[in-house]
Amino acid sequence: MARIRIDHAKCTGCRHCETACSLNHVPNTVNPRRARIRVMRDGTRYYPVIAGPFVDAACTSKLFIETGDHAYDQCALCRASCPEKPYFIEAETGIPLKCDFCGIPPAPSCVRWCNSGALELVEE
Amino acid sequence: MNGWIGRCLRVNLTEGKHRIEEIHPQILNKFLGGRGHGVKIFSDEVSPQTDPLSPDNKLIFVSGPLVGTGAITGASCNVVTKSSLTGALACAKMRGHFGAELKFAGFDMIIVEGKAEGPVILSIRDDKIKIDPALEYWGRSTSETEALYKRNMGDPWAARETFLAGIGPAGEQLLPLANIVNDRFLSVGGAGIGAVMGSKNLKAIAVKGQHSLHVADGSRFVQVINTMINKLNSASLTSQSMSQWGTAFLVGLCHQKGILPQNNFRLGTLSLKNIGTEALNSAFALRSRSCFACPVGCIKKTDVKHPAYEGRGMVPTYLAIGALGVNCGVNDLAAIGMANMICAEMGLDPVAAGGMLATAMELIERKTVTPEELKIDLRFGNSDAMLEALRMISTKKGHAKRLGQGGKALAESAERPDLFMGVKGLSLAPFDPRAIQGLGLHFATCNYGPHHLYGNTFIDELLNVHEKLDPWDAEGKPLLVKRFQDTTAVMDSLGLCSWPLMGLKFNNYIPMTNSCLGTEYKADDLMAIGERIWNLERTFNLRAGLTSNDDTLPERFVTEPIADGPGQGQVSRVNEMRPEYYHLRGWNENGEPLPETLSALGLEEHN
Repeated sequence: MARIRIDHAKCTGCRHCETACSLNHVPNTVNPRRARIRVMRDGTRYYPVIAGPFVDAACTSKLFIETGDHAYDQCALCRASCPEKPYFIEAETGIPLKCDFCGIPPAPSCVRWCNSGALELVEE
Repeated sequence: MNGWIGRCLRVNLTEGKHRIEEIHPQILNKFLGGRGHGVKIFSDEVSPQTDPLSPDNKLIFVSGPLVGTGAITGASCNVVTKSSLTGALACAKMRGHFGAELKFAGFDMIIVEGKAEGPVILSIRDDKIKIDPALEYWGRSTSETEALYKRNMGDPWAARETFLAGIGPAGEQLLPLANIVNDRFLSVGGAGIGAVMGSKNLKAIAVKGQHSLHVADGSRFVQVINTMINKLNSASLTSQSMSQWGTAFLVGLCHQKGILPQNNFRLGTLSLKNIGTEALNSAFALRSRSCFACPVGCIKKTDVKHPAYEGRGMVPTYLAIGALGVNCGVNDLAAIGMANMICAEMGLDPVAAGGMLATAMELIERKTVTPEELKIDLRFGNSDAMLEALRMISTKKGHAKRLGQGGKALAESAERPDLFMGVKGLSLAPFDPRAIQGLGLHFATCNYGPHHLYGNTFIDELLNVHEKLDPWDAEGKPLLVKRFQDTTAVMDSLGLCSWPLMGLKFNNYIPMTNSCLGTEYKADDLMAIGERIWNLERTFNLRAGLTSNDDTLPERFVTEPIADGPGQGQVSRVNEMRPEYYHLRGWNENGEPLPETLSALGLEEHN
């Protein structure tokens, strides 16, 4: 099964993946707010997040995940679009977005334009 | 429109009003956008005699047509104004994400006019444009301002998508050394513009938008970008040197050729042990950070350990290592990193500030000025005094006032103007023009003062990317300088960064430009636009009172050979090259564009 591996340590925050995604899904159009991948920023770290499900209620609990030297805000990593974090609602149309892997077989355009190695397509 | 938006936001701070205007497509055809567009509007609307700090001066933020479209390195936002340091045009190249966000907010350009009564912040958030009072931000450093503004927004998710460009305390105090800092990146080559922004009482501009940009031929555009990414990856300078160390990799190369200046451009021997790339690796934990849509990622972030700045800092670039480090005799990377951080926090231009410090140090060394007079022991290599001076000058209290007026004013007040190493009032970027002749000619003739990013000839002279040239040789350099100056004018106008020219040819950009904009430009068409922009800037500067006497390097570079090091014995032959350069440009011997040159470029009205 193919997966996209995300390496936060490598991401440089250039957001080229966002432009690749919107160019691939909306003909001749570039808009990060119409992309199914967004890069979240926290200090010097960047978290590429790929759109998952749309939910109409936010979580009642808030989580912090600590892995060794770094604490992650679970909301920043979460793939869902919710009232708390209104990402992945397409600007201009209001449609909830979800990653479609750029077709079958998967050929994600975000991975193709990611030059830092933060996004990689791996077979398992 | 493709690439361009075609809308301009005009903000009048005196009246507190704003207006949205259409941009005439004819101007875009003639000047592309970005720097060219900004300079055109500025020279049409502002008199060259305007006092830079008066409300009549305007401040133009303008993004090029390729910015935000995903075009490789399309991130540049140019800030055009009349500089309070040089009295000439100033055009800062702001990288980061601000330029792209401005396009997503639905504007190519922001024109700021007038002067607000009290401190204000201009915020553009999803079509809501507001001029908010900013008293609580006044006096704060750039990163504090950004953090506080984002906290005050009340919506952490919207705050993550908002980008700020603003001034620090140096700009508020109207120091000629101040520049604008964007997204905690340093803006490049913009000494004096921070003071203009401060004189308008405008602390910062915040943008967030959600509009779409359109490209003409998306599938071709994507293909072209794939090829360009591959090209960049196969060139070792961009894929290895730049992405590993940023511009700091130049330190070693420049040192080998005697280009790295030391102690106010006097020496050339210094051990690289403490400041080379090896030392950089061990001094900082490097993390790459990119501007919008840049596959190279030359900006390196790290943590600077210091009680005053326990935060995230930027690893010194070549400019910082050269201007704030070696040229001040400092070879401690941690101190250079701190100095660079202070410049970013205070909103100072590192080149201008470093040049001022080096001038002060030489004045003290020659006993023209005593350390007691400046109340600070600025000696070459005294990094503590350097850091103290940088922190002090932004407060503009007492003796620091004298330093804050810049290197030229300081040298003149001590009656040794010859000790200031700069052109048009701006300190030289840290490249010794005696050991790199072409860049020396560029420094002398550049419309914006001696900054390498408006004509980075060292790509050919030193790195031999497109042509194999000898940096010490003057042969053929005027043509090289003209070509690079025009190329850079085009790239700035499109909104592209010029560093990737280390791995790409100018021709590689043309399919990307055409598929994005739906135009049919050829290389020659674009170069003609570059020449038009350069001449337009030149005519503005001439009307502002600059003459060919301003197109020269300080006496030291022409008469004193380099004392030691690899470049020993070299002097600059700028005065021999200049007539040929004027001739190639179609200018007369006084450096004034000939009427036929201007009419061939379609600039008759600027004659």
